[in-house]
Amino acid sequence: MLLVHPVHEVLRQLPLLIGSVVLGYSTGNPMWSVGALVLMVGYGVARWFTTTYRLDADQLQRREGVLQRNVLSLPRNRIRSLSTDARLLHRLLGLTVVRVGTGHEAEGDTEFELDAIRSDELAALRAVLLADAPSTASDEVPVADRVLARWQPTWLRYSPLSFTGLAMIAAAVGIVYQTGAVAAFEDSQLARTGLDAAERFGVLASVALGAVVVVVMSVVLSVARSLVTFGNLVLTRRDDGTGAGVLHLEHGLLRVREHTFDVRRLRGGTLREPLLVRKFGGARLDAVMTGVGGAGEASLLLPPCPRATAEAVLTSLTGPDVVTGELRRHGATAARRRWTRALVFPAALALGLAGLSFVVAVPTWAWVSCGAIVVVAALLAADRTRALGHRVDGGWLVARAGSLDRRRDCIAAAGIIGWTVRQTLFQRRAGVATLVAATAAGVKGYRVLDVPAELAWSVAAAASPWVADNEWARVP
Amino acid sequence: MWAVGAAIPWTVLAAAQVVWLSLDARLPVLHVAAAIATAFGVVLFVFVVPFWRYRVHRWEIGAQAVYTRTGWLTQERRIAPISRVQTVDTQRGPLDRLFGLANVTVTTASSAGAVRIIALDADVADRIAAQLTDIASIGELDAT
Repeated sequence: MLLVHPVHEVLRQLPLLIGSVVLGYSTGNPMWSVGALVLMVGYGVARWFTTTYRLDADQLQRREGVLQRNVLSLPRNRIRSLSTDARLLHRLLGLTVVRVGTGHEAEGDTEFELDAIRSDELAALRAVLLADAPSTASDEVPVADRVLARWQPTWLRYSPLSFTGLAMIAAAVGIVYQTGAVAAFEDSQLARTGLDAAERFGVLASVALGAVVVVVMSVVLSVARSLVTFGNLVLTRRDDGTGAGVLHLEHGLLRVREHTFDVRRLRGGTLREPLLVRKFGGARLDAVMTGVGGAGEASLLLPPCPRATAEAVLTSLTGPDVVTGELRRHGATAARRRWTRALVFPAALALGLAGLSFVVAVPTWAWVSCGAIVVVAALLAADRTRALGHRVDGGWLVARAGSLDRRRDCIAAAGIIGWTVRQTLFQRRAGVATLVAATAAGVKGYRVLDVPAELAWSVAAAASPWVADNEWARVP
Repeated sequence: MWAVGAAIPWTVLAAAQVVWLSLDARLPVLHVAAAIATAFGVVLFVFVVPFWRYRVHRWEIGAQAVYTRTGWLTQERRIAPISRVQTVDTQRGPLDRLFGLANVTVTTASSAGAVRIIALDADVADRIAAQLTDIASIGELDAT
């Protein structure tokens, strides 16, 4: 434990360290770099001496801070999830970082994080922290562990379909530019030979070659990232026989991350199918849970994986027919709105081109690309129309929408704590409305897009009986 | 209240135009266009939109739920069950105080579910805030 802080401190301050080394060289005085290193290691050690945590009957408390004292305490009955994160160094030393999740969105210093807990103490700590019910219950009833999903190497085939690789390349290029290496490179010998070669091959060929290189690199990078982050993923459900239980997610090859979710806080799940992943029969699964942020990695249950796996897991968490059941369509008006929205921009473009063609000669490629845009927009509209649908059944609200990022939100009706019916001017004229179900979980508001206006309140009433009692909520 | 609230920024805009005219009197066409746009904005936002908003605006606190209807171009109806109310805030801005009004915001555990009732008479606002707080304090569990 004493080792981790100084080493991470040094790694985090690496740019500063390099700076001090450069400074040391340029001034001819190596004491600069030694001094910086000593300061950092000293700070890391001091952090270890000043950080303590304690757990008493109803509070979890952490004190820390070298120069500025910080005490963070949270009531134990507010603890909703527990996640651990072990980087390579932590794992070598048998340590983990424990992150305690409560309802509110905390970032940075206010996040409750216990760094470098011994891994063998972890199971005990998790049992203590997540048991707001009397912890004796788990001793009597045999704990049933059920594996819901296990990572397969075939899941890797979905990872090149995301843009993570491209994003990583862009970030790397950005960093290189920042350091000014490009400026130095531009008038180097290597760049000149490269340019000469490019001229020999012709511009088109070299651009194509560059594109191929970028694509291959992005594929390799995203596959590698996916392998390292999600390799060894295991999702298990642990029931203690009383209906309560936890979902346990563990993943990562080098940096092992574990999340433990309390099933009583689960309010549903979102099946997400980005266009490309969907075309290859894949889907990813997010949990909708109170106290866990809806976006990003925090709520992730399954990374892109075969659709059947994701559906099976979500079905076991929700109920039969919720995930795969037929949805109620939103009708012709909603479809017409999808088409209008998709085609307004291409139509405006085409009109603009037509207007322009009276003044100047419009090249053929402009017309061709305009036509291509129209076709793409039409396909998009058709796909979005096909996606629209909702279903209220057996205590679950299901809403599906979107094409590029299609999502099917399955929300427990008991977790819905408010309804909004929103109509823009155009929606009022078309007689449709957007219904927003407010929950305390996930992304907070789940939208049912373009429901026929006369149906909107009956959908809400079917999901939450208290809406039906309100006379205001009946008027369309 | 809405009319006065809208009038203030438009007055500032009109004043800014006068200043611009006095500093730089070239391009009269541009000035005329800007003046017409401002006049149109004033008519729309000070004389039309407030009445439109007033006609749409409704609220009710029933035995089970809080209900509001707001907006003009985009209209929104929002309903939240009283049993899930978490906090009740009352705010009064300078304009609200001038007219003796108050806004009541009823929040639930969801950031997408807060119900905001604007421009209530101050004593009505105080009364419903007290009433809702009473109900919320006897609510069960943690209302998520």
